[in-house]
Amino acid sequence: MKNRLRVLRAERDWSQADLAERLEVSRQSVNAIETGKFDPSLPLAFKLARLFETTIEDLFTDEG
Amino acid sequence: MICSIKNPAERRYVIRMWVAAGLCIVFAFVAAFTFRLSHPTGILAYLVAVLPALPILGALVCTGVYLAEEKDEFQRNLLVQSLLGGTGGTLALITVWGYLEDFAKTPHLDLIWIYAIFWGFAGISYGVVRARYR
Repeated sequence: MKNRLRVLRAERDWSQADLAERLEVSRQSVNAIETGKFDPSLPLAFKLARLFETTIEDLFTDEG
Repeated sequence: MICSIKNPAERRYVIRMWVAAGLCIVFAFVAAFTFRLSHPTGILAYLVAVLPALPILGALVCTGVYLAEEKDEFQRNLLVQSLLGGTGGTLALITVWGYLEDFAKTPHLDLIWIYAIFWGFAGISYGVVRARYR
């Protein structure tokens, strides 16, 4: 699933490690989500949306 | 090494696994010496013989507890995929080996090795799964 995490993270000047700390997950998790290799669960997607003050639909794009 | 692990669930898992491994070695020596020195029989023989297996069962429980405690769903996903790889690899190997033993008379594989083989396959699986997410 495509997402805008890298862009939103860059806007805030956060590293992957910074975002991982805020989400309470590993940096590898952030990298896997950001590169579209791992789709987060709904609770984690909501957490991401809250953190970036946006909606899940704005963060993630369904390619299907 | 353990102090460098930041994730509390992972740190607890590593500590528990080291304790289980240590107990397994101690209990294996206890069982071996007991059988060598006092030749227990009956129910006592069964109890002493099963002693080294208890920490191994404990290690499996520790893995389950880690999966329950780990808050990072990606890390949980990695471990689950690795365990599936370990289970599949072990089942495949012992099935093939079983037929080889029956028909081609290959050397007998003691059941005691299956646990080690499982973790061997799980370890290989973990490497493969991690590489896929890089």
